[in-house]
Amino acid sequence: MNLEDELRAALRREDPSPGFANRVVARAQSSRAPKQAMPRFIWAVAIAAMLVIGFTSTYEYRQMKAERAGHDAVLALRIAAEKLNMTRDKAMRREN
Amino acid sequence: MRRLFLITLIAGCAAAQLPAQLLQLRITGLDGLASKAKESVDITLDSNLLQMAGGFLAGAGKDDKDGGDGEKLKQLIAGLKAITVRHYEFKETGQYRIEDLEPIRAQLRTPGWNKIISSQSKDETSEIYTRIEQGKVVGFAIINAEPKEMTVVAIEGTIDLNDLSKLKALGVPAIPVPNKKGK
Repeated sequence: MNLEDELRAALRREDPSPGFANRVVARAQSSRAPKQAMPRFIWAVAIAAMLVIGFTSTYEYRQMKAERAGHDAVLALRIAAEKLNMTRDKAMRREN
Repeated sequence: MRRLFLITLIAGCAAAQLPAQLLQLRITGLDGLASKAKESVDITLDSNLLQMAGGFLAGAGKDDKDGGDGEKLKQLIAGLKAITVRHYEFKETGQYRIEDLEPIRAQLRTPGWNKIISSQSKDETSEIYTRIEQGKVVGFAIINAEPKEMTVVAIEGTIDLNDLSKLKALGVPAIPVPNKKGK
């Protein structure tokens, strides 16, 4: 058998076995179901994670802001107290 | 009718804000000094930030072994609506002009403000102003100008000056102060 005959034999048209189309459809439907469930689960986890990260970072940011404001307030009042006392002392020394 | 109601509401809100705006000192004319100063402090705290600061200090005070200073500071801050501090320390003299303080002094000459202490010497000026309403101090300002140092403090809200002057006794200096240079 020469090469041409071999190729012709290999590439000749053959009808599928009975029920082939049904088997393909059944397989496609059976493999689709788990793929649908997976993205839903991932989305739920992603949203939950985003919420946790969002709440945590907002809390952290507020804490940081409060801490900074606390330090600023103390420093401001400290400067105010120092200058108040200094000015009072100067005025009293002048009167005496 | 609905529009009229909205206009009335907005006008009412604006009128309610007016006394606070009139009282509020604007610290202007000192913007360029920070770059010349070897150390500078620029603090502006509004009522929201003061509320947060009070909460933080009260929380910090709970852990104090020597008697809850945070709570005392919170009480002092509770009556305040705003604090503004500008403090500059220079390496050399002549880094600012006394006229730089004129925009602030002009505001302190308006009705309502009273100069209660003034100490003037050849190269130093210290002034304390208060604004009193119904027997309570509702505004307080300090201007201190020395050859190598200048400080302006403006505090809005009810404050007891005796409590303020005792602040050092509250252990305030023990709290670490962040470096404010270049803010």
